[in-house]
Amino acid sequence: MRTKQHIAIIGATGSMGSAISKSLCRGNYRLLLCGQDTKKTEKLLAEIRRDYHNADVTIAPCIKEASWEAEIIILAVPCCTEKEIAERIRKVVNQKIIISLTNPVHKDLKSMVTDVNSSATEALQQLLPYAKVIKAFCTTFAADFETPVIDGNRFDAFIAGNDTEALENVSELISCSGFNPVIVGDLSASQTLERMQFLLIQLDLKMIMAEKQAGKSYIINS
Amino acid sequence: MYRVYFENFRQKVALTEEEQELIQAHLMTRKIRKKLYILREKDICKFVVFVEKGLLKSYSTGENGAEHIIQFAPENQFILDIYSFLTGEQATYNIQAVEDSELIIISKSSHETLLKKSHKYETFVRILVTDAYIELQQRLNANISLHPDELYIAFMHKYAHIAQRVPQHMIASYLGLAPETLSRIRRKIAGRNS
Ligand SMILES: NC(=O)c1ccc[n+]([C@@H]2O[C@H](COP(=O)([O-])OP(=O)(O)OC[C@H]3O[C@@H](n4cnc5c(N)ncnc54)[C@H](OP(=O)(O)O)[C@@H]3O)[C@@H](O)[C@H]2O)c1
Repeated sequence: MRTKQHIAIIGATGSMGSAISKSLCRGNYRLLLCGQDTKKTEKLLAEIRRDYHNADVTIAPCIKEASWEAEIIILAVPCCTEKEIAERIRKVVNQKIIISLTNPVHKDLKSMVTDVNSSATEALQQLLPYAKVIKAFCTTFAADFETPVIDGNRFDAFIAGNDTEALENVSELISCSGFNPVIVGDLSASQTLERMQFLLIQLDLKMIMAEKQAGKSYIINS
Repeated sequence: MYRVYFENFRQKVALTEEEQELIQAHLMTRKIRKKLYILREKDICKFVVFVEKGLLKSYSTGENGAEHIIQFAPENQFILDIYSFLTGEQATYNIQAVEDSELIIISKSSHETLLKKSHKYETFVRILVTDAYIELQQRLNANISLHPDELYIAFMHKYAHIAQRVPQHMIASYLGLAPETLSRIRRKIAGRNS
């Protein structure tokens, strides 16, 4: 496609937001960065301009303006803020793609904030009924963006959503960021993806604990 | 955000609040900065654009890279590459913002859904297409029958509001004249009027 798509990244200054922004700079996109802290956002912009000379990137004046200008909106914000942000952008997102990365996990990482048979992403879709909400990148760690290819294999990045065209569009975006897009199902599949990531976080924590206790070697099972 | 669109709609077809809500759910609202593109040639035009505020133009490029302006779309106008939209073939037009603009975008899938769901929308589209056809006939007539001087005068008469907002070279491109030819015509007319 020759026409540039405009993408707003809300929470661009965070771990995921900045990794995604940098990974998309190589693509045919115009990026609108949204951060809460102007200094942090300017620092990110300067880094991107230094490292990616062809990047088409700018700082958006606010979340609503960025979402109005964009056709794709990436919410790289903590799960607990999605509701408030959805309210701020509701009027300008009809028919737009909203990518939610959220992992609805409590701060102590010990349990999930969502009930069984529900997901944070389906809740977001209910708040924004006329937008095309897509779950993506939730099982990808921010650090993975540094090396999305290991031994010649690209990491899989799972996508769930209800709109076929939107899923195709997000698949292209994920390919551009270096990962291998895998469409797993409609939006209800985000329940599985969110729980899968919860499990991965638990395993990660176990590894860290084991590492602490036994120097470098650790056991993951049991 | 959707005001101009629905005012235009209601001038042609009456709408209840519920009907407006149903249609609005399928319309995307977007801002676009001056000089940026909403469509580049060779992509497929999968949408119709309505200008709420600002000004867009569509153009094709000649062999030497010259811009041939097809249409100016100020507020309250629709713009698209209808050939590409209807056939799914590559677009031959570029659509670019001449000013910072606010747009309503109706995707092809939304358009098709609305045609099925809303009788009022279908009527609205039929009226738009008819009006566009008349406009096309008038432009064709003018282009084949008028002398360049008359073409320019007719443009200034009909589109004075656009002429104030765009540089001369764009008007020349729209009229199919070389910029120098247009300058000559303008001098001639100014001389006649003074
Ligand atoms: N980290 C990972 O590896 C990972 C992996 C998969 C999914 N996720 C998910 O991705 C999302 C972001 O995670 P993260 O680790 O990148 O978090 P993070 O580093 O804490 O970044 C959060 C971003 O959101 C912004 N923000 C916070 N509250 C906000 C509000 N009320 N309004 C607007 N912006 C707000 C922050 O701005 P400030 O910088 O100004 O605070 C920051 O830019 C979360 O939902 C998380 O579950 C994370």
